[in-house]
Amino acid sequence: MDFSELENDNTGRCRLNSPVPLVCLKEACVLGVDEAGRGPVLGPMVYAICYCPLSHLADLEALKVADSKTLSESERNRLFAKMEEDRDFVGWALDVLSPNLISTSMLGRVKYNLNSLSHDTATALIQYALDQGVKVSQVFVDTVGMPETYQKRLQQCFPGIKVTVKAKADSLYSVVSAASICAKVARDQAVRNWRFVERLQDFDADYGSGYPNDPKTKAWLKKHVEPVFGFPQFVRFSWRTAMAILEKEAEDVVWEDLTVGDQESAGRITSYFLNEGPRTHLRVPHRYFVERGLESATTL
Amino acid sequence: MESRDETMMEKHRVHLRPITLRDAAPATLHLLPCEVLASRPAPVGRFFTPAIRQGPDGLEVSFRGRSLRGEEVAVPPGLVGYVMVTEEKLIGKQDFLGDSENNYQEEEREPVAAPEPLERDFDRFIGATATFSRFTLWGLETIPGPDAKVRGALTWPSLAAVIHAQVPED
Repeated sequence: MDFSELENDNTGRCRLNSPVPLVCLKEACVLGVDEAGRGPVLGPMVYAICYCPLSHLADLEALKVADSKTLSESERNRLFAKMEEDRDFVGWALDVLSPNLISTSMLGRVKYNLNSLSHDTATALIQYALDQGVKVSQVFVDTVGMPETYQKRLQQCFPGIKVTVKAKADSLYSVVSAASICAKVARDQAVRNWRFVERLQDFDADYGSGYPNDPKTKAWLKKHVEPVFGFPQFVRFSWRTAMAILEKEAEDVVWEDLTVGDQESAGRITSYFLNEGPRTHLRVPHRYFVERGLESATTL
Repeated sequence: MESRDETMMEKHRVHLRPITLRDAAPATLHLLPCEVLASRPAPVGRFFTPAIRQGPDGLEVSFRGRSLRGEEVAVPPGLVGYVMVTEEKLIGKQDFLGDSENNYQEEEREPVAAPEPLERDFDRFIGATATFSRFTLWGLETIPGPDAKVRGALTWPSLAAVIHAQVPED
């Protein structure tokens, strides 16, 4: 896979795809959707689709693709290479969502949670296949969240296609297994070749699996905390593990969209009953100054 | 507001060290839409600057996992930006002594009449550590735009000059 675009700028998202096999433009196809790297606190999440004509489904099954989690890295790479050899009837496309995109989405003014991000990415990939002219007749999806609501949503988006959303679809349908292999191979490659945006000092690449419960990953996070900036962008700031470490080891940050009103009045209810002296008759500055955030400086 | 200042905190007389204005080196500044509850050096050049991208609608970066959009703001003509720091050390010995032992340049001394004697805990010195003629203003997820508070604040000096100017008799 050619990741040069991602290596150039890994702060957003990046799409990669195979050429569309000619046969997929003519014959009815099955399409599988799966993801890799949803859980880790480090690195990107990858969404992949894989498709082939119904008439070639047996050929895909003959490759003995299986759920990528049950395969070793070398087996996954071997299977992906086989799929590349079968490019006359197997096509794929994938979206790499950078950890920075995940953090900024989940920590936005309007929260955009990981499930919605996942659903929208999957929907966009299916639409992408359709836009390329792939004759999709059936879609199989490994579920994220409740399968029923997800299926209903996708079915509404693609009324002409039979949509099946299931838990463990990656081990039930070979076309989803194939998608899971594409996603996992891409995620591994993206992590391995990750270019840190920051110029880190004393950097150690031994961050373990990237999963929050891996002691190695946790130790790596603790080691790479920067008191002001927190972590490098390789880390998903929106993960509870990352937040907990920042809370302890980094400086506090107060954002302008945080409601400070509560803090201001809390604990000062007594001010209604007690004469606290000058505090109770403050002279409010003119609106001109308030609107411009100007205050008289009493100290620097 | 004066009344509040007097009652709520110690009153200080602040003196500027004019020589620092001349020596201040230019600095790159970023104004973020958040407050970091600490005052300490930060590796801006290693963590922040390399992450800035030119997006379709202005500069893009993220801080602590939150998306920022930024734009350059120029200091209005006729004004200069300085980063000012209060001297940690309270009044030094030399500040009490007469001219003979004053190591500072001529303009260091108050030009107007005879300066009042300095008092410990009352007089403070500030000096410039850096100068700037522009800075990058960052907004949370959106470009701060023309209505940004700080843009309004920058109009105050010219308004202040006008309203404090001498009005002709007739």
